[in-house]
Amino acid sequence: MPWLTLAVAIPGFGALAAALLPARHTRAPSWVAFGAATLSLLSLLVTLVRFDAGEGMQLVEEAVWIPSIDVAWRLGVAGLSLPLALMTAVLFLPAIGYGVGPRPLTRAAAALLLLLESASLAFFLAQDFFLFYVAFDVTLVAMYFLIALWGEANRRYAALKFFLYTLIGSLPVLLGIIVLFLESDPATFDMIRLAREQPLAGAGAGASLTFLAFFVGFAIKTPIVPFHTWLPAAHVEAPTAGSVLLAGVLLKLGTYGLVRVNLQMMPDAFAQYALPIALLGLVSVIFGALVALAQRDLKRLIAYTSINHMGYVVIAVAAAAAPGISASARELALDGAVLQMVAHGVVTSALFFVAGFVLTRAHTRDLDELSGLMGPMPVYGTLAAVAMFASLGLPGLAQFPAELQIFLGTFDVYPGIAAVALLGLVVTAALFLLALQRAFLGETGAPWRGLPDLGRRELWALVPLIVLTVALGVYPRLALDLISAGSWLLP
Amino acid sequence: MEERTIAELPWLAPIGVLVLTAMLAVILALFVARGRQGRVGAFVAGGHLLAAGLAVWVWLDLGPSEVMEGTVMMDGLGLAMVAVLGVAGAVGVAMARPVVAGTDREGEFYALLTAATLASAVLVVAADIALISMALGMLSLTSFVLTGYLRRSARGNEASLKYYIYGSVSGAAMVYGFSWWFGLTGETSLAGIGERLPEAPTAALVGSTALVVLGLGYKAALVPFHFWTPDVYDGAPLPVAAYLSVLPKIAGLVALARVLPAALPDDAAGWSVAIAAIAAATMTLGNLAALRQRNVVRLLAYSSIAQSGYLLMGVAALPGSDQGLPALVYYVIAYAVTNLAAFAVVLAVQRERGSVDVSAFAGLGARHPWWTVALVLSLLSLVGIPPLGGFVGKLEVFTAAIDAGQAWLAVVAVINTVISLFYYLRVIAPTVLQAEDEAPISPVRRSLPLGGALAATAVATIAVGVVAEPLLRLAEAATMLGG
Repeated sequence: MPWLTLAVAIPGFGALAAALLPARHTRAPSWVAFGAATLSLLSLLVTLVRFDAGEGMQLVEEAVWIPSIDVAWRLGVAGLSLPLALMTAVLFLPAIGYGVGPRPLTRAAAALLLLLESASLAFFLAQDFFLFYVAFDVTLVAMYFLIALWGEANRRYAALKFFLYTLIGSLPVLLGIIVLFLESDPATFDMIRLAREQPLAGAGAGASLTFLAFFVGFAIKTPIVPFHTWLPAAHVEAPTAGSVLLAGVLLKLGTYGLVRVNLQMMPDAFAQYALPIALLGLVSVIFGALVALAQRDLKRLIAYTSINHMGYVVIAVAAAAAPGISASARELALDGAVLQMVAHGVVTSALFFVAGFVLTRAHTRDLDELSGLMGPMPVYGTLAAVAMFASLGLPGLAQFPAELQIFLGTFDVYPGIAAVALLGLVVTAALFLLALQRAFLGETGAPWRGLPDLGRRELWALVPLIVLTVALGVYPRLALDLISAGSWLLP
Repeated sequence: MEERTIAELPWLAPIGVLVLTAMLAVILALFVARGRQGRVGAFVAGGHLLAAGLAVWVWLDLGPSEVMEGTVMMDGLGLAMVAVLGVAGAVGVAMARPVVAGTDREGEFYALLTAATLASAVLVVAADIALISMALGMLSLTSFVLTGYLRRSARGNEASLKYYIYGSVSGAAMVYGFSWWFGLTGETSLAGIGERLPEAPTAALVGSTALVVLGLGYKAALVPFHFWTPDVYDGAPLPVAAYLSVLPKIAGLVALARVLPAALPDDAAGWSVAIAAIAAATMTLGNLAALRQRNVVRLLAYSSIAQSGYLLMGVAALPGSDQGLPALVYYVIAYAVTNLAAFAVVLAVQRERGSVDVSAFAGLGARHPWWTVALVLSLLSLVGIPPLGGFVGKLEVFTAAIDAGQAWLAVVAVINTVISLFYYLRVIAPTVLQAEDEAPISPVRRSLPLGGALAATAVATIAVGVVAEPLLRLAEAATMLGG
């Protein structure tokens, strides 16, 4: 049974089915969407059972597609892709459950959400560059429509900026893919072969340019300062579930690309640029934290913390690529990077739900206006507090083990950068504690006294994420055993 | 010699069918009643498709061959392009039917269209400068008349006149360039020219080649010979604009692909660099000019100028890479179906809303979801979003360019792709993001040929990308004989 293909294809066909449903069955799109997402998650869970952690790339499914240019439908999992794919499938369930746009879920919304899921899973599981690139661009199209159709007041501008900016990023990736294709012998788009044969080994000018082309593309997606300016607008204007998916899944496309392509296929070139890239990651960490600290809009604040958290991942990946790092430190750094990707996905999704819930009730996300929300909404307040503590890296919650490993790994080769990055942690702690205090604690403001606490639909969206946050924090081996970077790293 | 000519006739079957169709269409138009001229249209469409089918038959059954003493190359490239032209022409006829139905010269319109297809078909197989000149002249004359078909339209007359003047000068320039080639080499066949031309004095060589490129480039709407395009597309009946955006463009580009490597073998005088520069200028100007357009037809006109630039990348890569020709063939097919799909939707909107301004597209998604899907697919394909046909086409030409050492051109194309997204989204966004305008919609009868053309081209746009393998194999096999 081609479980991976099923995981990708079921949401894809589900999208088509949802689009073709007759208009009078108003509840059908929700069922189709939820059913497809559930089946997709089940396929990935089966894959999890069959997966042998520590054995590298496995369970590869291959079907001929365009033999003239050696393009195949090739999917496979390794320690890097399986956790991310699982995280994606898990995150889509609350997103679909909460829905975008009018309730019940419209056909267009269901189709777009499922299309996004199919493309995201295809991206993480793809072992063929053609499929990789198709998935990359389809996520752009799907997210553009999700933002433009059901976003907030300034959605058209934000959606356009998102699409244009990330398309600018995806095109250098295309050029890089073409160069890798032409340099390989015989010419191929097979990512497994390219990672093994490394046609651009060594650090010549051609390898450098190709590396930089890929880097720019993935840096825009991650995003790394200074390519981050699309992110605040897109996150703020997107509908709640859209922001959840944007932060939880789409940002990981960039960091996954950095590891899968830049690190695994062009390690020599990466070694050359490791320090500048680590510094850029550091700038993202500090910049993201400081700008988040200055925000009044809760959603914008969370958006900037995403830049901060992804900065840690970039530092870790750059450290892993640095020449002179010991094998154990490299393993630590990459384990931490992937765990941070998963943890950030779960935690920030929870945070965006938190921001969405306050908007639907109070019709504002302004931290200066809100106060004392813990009073009328204790459940909501508690869950929000847990999510915020997780995001600032409190031990016992998801992001702490990840950031710990990142720092341990980075310290081996860039102790200065690790030390300065710790400042980012301090600022992040400050900004979340301030946000928590301003919005949730203290005297409940007059307009907020009668606000209802979380309803069933919102609880179903938020609670599973909080549970996962705690689970990953208390027992990170759940993910770390799966990741085991030592098994898929280059010698 | 007569025996050989007769023996070669089967290879000319596709061309012959187009000739017969054109002639019989004129006669048929005389005899068929006024209100039934649609039958002439059906006959002409059938003739186009028969020509396409015969091209395939010749390729598979008879095999490629040069005929008529080397003046006509019925090779893989030529036959593949004749097939594409035949199908595209048939789609053009289908799109034209609702617009020209009931007009007083409907039958002649179809005959002229067939004559234009015939001229394009000859252009893609011609290997002799005299034949090229003749074919180009015939293509030009038929195009001018088709543009001005709606005689009562002032814009149509203006467009036709502009096209006529511009086209005549360009055509004359090309013939003048050819006359220099003849003078320098004493030959009219491209192969013969190729043997002697590189030794000619550089000034004469460069000057005459520039004139030749002028003539063929004007048909393909290359910069700086593109000025006629927006006015002509805007003034001509919309199906004619759609037709002009595909058939003469293919004919001009394929003729360039034949003429330049044959007359200047081994990249003599470095023509690939000049063509690459023209490609860069064409795509950039086309995209930048489209940014300000609110008239969707003019927008598509500039867009098709930019697409000529991408297509020309394949020609520029010919000396340096053997991927150049397959890339050109593939992108031609993808571009043809995609552009026709886009025009089909615009025509449908024009018939219903009476306007082709961007505002006429507002709320289209709610009222005509399938038209909107077709529009989004075709425009995203033109941008190059996978897995649509336009993406695979761009992938192929980018690969060819990088393989030919013209990576800079690929980078320019990439930048242009991003620019183009901006204006394509300007058309897509109102269809799904805006509500309909309150303007009354004229009740218009559904047109079966137009609907069929729209559906077929939209499906083809996806199919060409997803099921790319057969077309890529075809493109690889579509080789040129004689260099």
